[in-house]
Amino acid sequence: MSPGAYLRRTLVHHWRTNLAVLLGVAAGTAVLTGALLVGDSVRGSLRQMTLDRLGQVDHVLSGPRFVREQLAADIEALPRFQERFNTLAPAIILSATVQKTAPGGEAVGGAGARAGGVQLYGLTETGWGLIDPSQPAPTGDQLTLNDRLARQLGVAVGDQVTVQIELPSDIPRDTLLGKKDGNFVEWQAQVGTILPAASGPGRFGLVPNQQLPLNAFAALAPLQEQLGLAAREPSRRDPTRREARVNALLVSEKAAPRSPDIPEAGTDLNRLLGQALQPADLNLRVVSQPKQGYLAVESERMILDRQAVQAVERAARETEAELSPVLVYIANRLRRAPAQADAPEEPGEKLSRYSVVAGVEPRLFNPDQPAPFGPYVLAENPGGNPLQQPPAGQPEGRGVLINDWLAQDLQVQPGDQLELTWHKVGSHGELPEEVATFVVRGILKLDGTQAADRGLVPEVPGITNVQSFEEWDAPFPMKKVTPRDDDYWKKYRATPKVFLPLTFAQELWRNRYGELTSLRVAPKAGSLAEFVPRFTDRFRLELKPAEQGLAFRSVKEEGLQAAAGTTDFGGLFLGFSLFLILSAAILIGLLFRLGIDRRAKETGLLLATGLGPRQVRRLLLWEGGVVTALGVLLGLLLAVAYARLMVHGLKTWWVGAIGTQFLDLHIRPLSPVLGGLISAAVGLLSIVWGLRGLLRIAPRRLLSGISTPVESAAGKRARGQGARRWALGTALLAGLLTAATVLRLVPNREAFSGFNWPTILFFLVGLLTLAAGLCALGAWLDGDRGAAVRGHGARGIARLGVRNASRNRTRSLLSTALIATATFLIVAIAAGHRNPAVEIPDRNSGNGGFTLVAESSVPVLRDLNSAGGRSQLGLDDAEAQAILEPVRQIVPFRVNPGENASCLNIYKTSQPTILGAPPEMLERGGFRFADTGAAEPWKLLAQVEPDGSIPVLGDLNTLQYSLHIGLGATLPIRGEDGTEHSLKVVGMFDSSVFQGVLVMHQDRFQHLFPSRVGGQYFLVDLAGTPPTTQQVDQVSRLLESRLPGFDAERVADRLTSFLAVQNTYLSTFQALGGLGLLLGTVGLATVMLRNVLERRGELALLKAVGFRQRGLVWMVLVETALLLGWGLVCGTVAALLAMGPHLLSRGADVPWLSVAGLLVGVFAVGLVAAGFAARAAVRTPTLATLRSE
Amino acid sequence: MSAELIPDLQVEHLSKRYQGAAGEVAVLTDVNLTLRRGDALAIMGPSGSGKSTLLYILGTLDTPTGGSVKVEGRDPFGLPAETLAAFRNRCIGFVFQDHCLLPQCTVLENVLIPTLAADAADPNAEPRARELLRRVGLAERIAHFPSELSGGERQRVSICRALINQPRLLLADEPTGNLDRTTAHTIGTLLLEVCRELETVLITVTHSPELAARFPRRVELVEGRLENR
Repeated sequence: MSPGAYLRRTLVHHWRTNLAVLLGVAAGTAVLTGALLVGDSVRGSLRQMTLDRLGQVDHVLSGPRFVREQLAADIEALPRFQERFNTLAPAIILSATVQKTAPGGEAVGGAGARAGGVQLYGLTETGWGLIDPSQPAPTGDQLTLNDRLARQLGVAVGDQVTVQIELPSDIPRDTLLGKKDGNFVEWQAQVGTILPAASGPGRFGLVPNQQLPLNAFAALAPLQEQLGLAAREPSRRDPTRREARVNALLVSEKAAPRSPDIPEAGTDLNRLLGQALQPADLNLRVVSQPKQGYLAVESERMILDRQAVQAVERAARETEAELSPVLVYIANRLRRAPAQADAPEEPGEKLSRYSVVAGVEPRLFNPDQPAPFGPYVLAENPGGNPLQQPPAGQPEGRGVLINDWLAQDLQVQPGDQLELTWHKVGSHGELPEEVATFVVRGILKLDGTQAADRGLVPEVPGITNVQSFEEWDAPFPMKKVTPRDDDYWKKYRATPKVFLPLTFAQELWRNRYGELTSLRVAPKAGSLAEFVPRFTDRFRLELKPAEQGLAFRSVKEEGLQAAAGTTDFGGLFLGFSLFLILSAAILIGLLFRLGIDRRAKETGLLLATGLGPRQVRRLLLWEGGVVTALGVLLGLLLAVAYARLMVHGLKTWWVGAIGTQFLDLHIRPLSPVLGGLISAAVGLLSIVWGLRGLLRIAPRRLLSGISTPVESAAGKRARGQGARRWALGTALLAGLLTAATVLRLVPNREAFSGFNWPTILFFLVGLLTLAAGLCALGAWLDGDRGAAVRGHGARGIARLGVRNASRNRTRSLLSTALIATATFLIVAIAAGHRNPAVEIPDRNSGNGGFTLVAESSVPVLRDLNSAGGRSQLGLDDAEAQAILEPVRQIVPFRVNPGENASCLNIYKTSQPTILGAPPEMLERGGFRFADTGAAEPWKLLAQVEPDGSIPVLGDLNTLQYSLHIGLGATLPIRGEDGTEHSLKVVGMFDSSVFQGVLVMHQDRFQHLFPSRVGGQYFLVDLAGTPPTTQQVDQVSRLLESRLPGFDAERVADRLTSFLAVQNTYLSTFQALGGLGLLLGTVGLATVMLRNVLERRGELALLKAVGFRQRGLVWMVLVETALLLGWGLVCGTVAALLAMGPHLLSRGADVPWLSVAGLLVGVFAVGLVAAGFAARAAVRTPTLATLRSE
Repeated sequence: MSAELIPDLQVEHLSKRYQGAAGEVAVLTDVNLTLRRGDALAIMGPSGSGKSTLLYILGTLDTPTGGSVKVEGRDPFGLPAETLAAFRNRCIGFVFQDHCLLPQCTVLENVLIPTLAADAADPNAEPRARELLRRVGLAERIAHFPSELSGGERQRVSICRALINQPRLLLADEPTGNLDRTTAHTIGTLLLEVCRELETVLITVTHSPELAARFPRRVELVEGRLENR
């Protein structure tokens, strides 16, 4: 007989036992491989979602900068584009707030009738075709909304909506000429189409996020019209021609095989962008001043940024040109300096208002300064350059030159003091006046001289191109001008009245955008007419669009990379299925061992007939191996079903965890292979473990049907004492670790591989407590059994039942361990539930003491805390004042939108949203920190890091699970100018409202993202502990109704939505824990059945001596209850101890009732199963059983 | 000493003690025994006298605490576990009271079970098994399962299994204990015949005076020692 034949016979003969093991292996395989398949499915679905979401859009250029719409056509016309790409569509992409409006135009109130954070897309027919050609493109004043937005607003096709959009501003809002208020447009539009949720445009979005966005689509031209971005022909009033503008270009790439020789499509596109780019695309203009003989490079933003200045310098060098930098500013008032600085104006005092002062290089005033930047003619020429060599007898001080008009106007002479007053721009758009005094070093002749050059001042629509001061469209309050001022304006417009050294001017008026308003360029030789095109061409080449934040991003490729997922769902499910897999492994070992125990005689015989222990072991392992292999195969089939069930669960019951219904089963071939191999290894190891010690038992003992080794009383006693010592030691250690966690002696930072210390301690305390409980049981089972079982009736029988538990110590311990492990998992998960709604505003909590969090699509520059700021925002009437009475503080944060790095986004994120925290937030502080190196973590934002990195604060969840970094780690991030900066994590918030974002100091923020002006994220601190619901609602409604694009919600609600994800995960894994408990119960029931069957003879004997059937069932039930109860109590205590720190924290929301119900249910099921086994055993005819025994 | 002069089984001063709850228990104190090929010995004694213990020690399934056992001049207890198993497989055959047939295997397969231990397949094993089964009158039952056999038939299969590797030593533990008188007689005859034919040393532990009476040599285990009867 061959071993194969023996194996076949044995497998078939012991099919029941083998089937049980096979099912155990199948369960383990299904869970393990299923977890991997869930990971595959999430990754595969994210990939598919990316492809569906972006349609044919492969690359996108988008950002705050508005370029010419014509740029799209210019790039498209390039041969290389046509070779490699299909289409390029200009578009506008903006954030907006949409509100449902009644037919009369009145806003419809009520929750949900307003939606902030809406992505508004202005698309051409071509652009729409890239997203989804099967849907009709929006036209005219009709908007196409996606299903989620329509539902949120409660609108249907034909309804009216108001779209609030921030008006793009050429001039930065936080500079003197930038518009601080009324910087938005309200567009009354009609809902034309509502896109179904599954449609491409309905899910369109440039940033990877699996959640459905709030999308509104409009035709490009009407949107441009609304935003003042449409093409404008020159008129008499405004002679400047403006081209239509867009802020996004969508590109579709031709499908072609990838080759290492071909550059990346994105690189190619950016090169094409460089070729087609015009200065106008960067809001720059080259203005030829033929009369003066130079050209000026100016910016529509009024100030030239550093990159533009460098490009001009490079171009000038290349074209051998001369440069003259200029910084002009508006002086509110010029007057002869009074005796006391900034003294009130005297009636009839000679003043000059709203004059332009120009900072230029002092060398221009050299008497021999050649054209075109000189020479300037002094009314009285003492010789030399009066700015560089003050004429004799003049007082000390900073010198200026003024033109003769002003000198006459103010009746000042060289050597007189001139007082200059100007507006400084505050951080909230306030315009305090600053004053400085200068010494007039000389008077410049105006008419017909260089001083009359209007080209020094860049064109500012609404100011430089209007006829009189009355027509000024100034973003600051204007005082009454004098007739002389008007006369000057009519004759000389913005011609500077005062000249001062450029360095002085820059000291006073430079801002974070730059320190020059124009650069004048003149050829060193040749004519200007010939020079202008030559320079312009060179200048164009020197422009680096990427440095100005203009670059194509390969969104599809990025999306597909991000689809790798921020969270490895396979790992996550595997991690939380670990206890389930452990349960399955214990069960496999237990079942296999039970089977082997039944066959003790067979094993003894094999040994007796001369098979060596290794041979017997090999035969048993082969048998186990075949069963495992079959179990794995069955398990793989079940894994697909399990994964399908989990995916279904994630789409339905646990949709809060991933927030999308577009999840499908995806299977990578590697996963079943990997899952199968791991499961087979686990199964075999369990079997090996089940066999341990078996072959050390004397064959004679085995031949007698006994599969346990001989145990001496002394050995048992020693083992019991050892177990007792272990129980005490592990319990003590668990207690100490719990105390250390509760007392916050454990750092809340990453220990390794993304696991932080509290998590590790949680598992340690849990395992130690479980070990303590099981060791205690072991010690008890090994305890002194010298005492006789006494008593009578139910109590006596119960004592016998309890004694029976110690008959097969290993079995009892294993089945108890099985129950305890699963119970631990279930109770620990249940204990992890949090409800932030119960957390009242508390400065040292996740809400930081704030009650409301708000976001605004229109930045708010004004100070929401001061009376002045509120007045400018229309919040100063009696009603608003009364409602805002309880508002202690509104903290505005600047926002650079990026990817949502919170747990609400399961894509991998690399460029999270950044918030700029104002100094008042640093001063105020607050929030609970999981880990930080300072007592006042907010202050760390202001510190200078030695390595030049920028300190940031972030939420623990965001940093660890989304960005995968910890305290002290750095994260690269690109600033607006394309340069890379390093962000250093200096503190981690604990479950805060800042999930998904990183917070840095406002000053650093402004440096990185200069175009992001004004607050767009607000935290509102209300008085009262807690403030009443009515107060909160009133403040929320007031701010939403008065501030355009403002959308507020309770901090508790925001935290709830974050925690919904966590809580949903917990529910998911609680279900898995439930399965583990089910396996545990099955295991225990099997053990009890086996025990009962083994003791049939004993039971028959007890029956024979007069025990009633009911009494015997009772005896078995007591034994089961002891083990089951011990497991449940041990697991529960372990979980509560491990979760102690969380349970002691505010916000813990444990569903005690359902957990208790579940545990009681498990207890009952276990008892019922054991009861059935006992009943079946005791019903066997007594005599037959006794005889067979 | 020539090979022929070496006894096939030599037991000298064999003792076996257990550590019981109430102290040390001596089961065998001083057992001495010498047997050659073809010898057949019946060991008798009251229950608990240590008969089976002696048998299992002789079969190397248990170890002595003192004295020596030599089979063909070799002390098997000095061998490592795997070599000891191979030795047992080659030299010792067991017949148990409850025959211990594998219910999943046919009669022929049960007889061939000991051949599983061989490193290489023995082409003569199956013909030998068939011959043994023919010899015990079970030629027609080779494809039957144990559950289809009578008690006597099962015990005959068990004897065939014990003899498949042509052992030097055939040990039978109450081989007729579960059988009726007629069947017990047949089995006794079979054991003695086979022992004679194959020149095997046969040791049988029995309570049955009838079976013992048919053995040429009989001993009784009294207080841990063998006494001739």
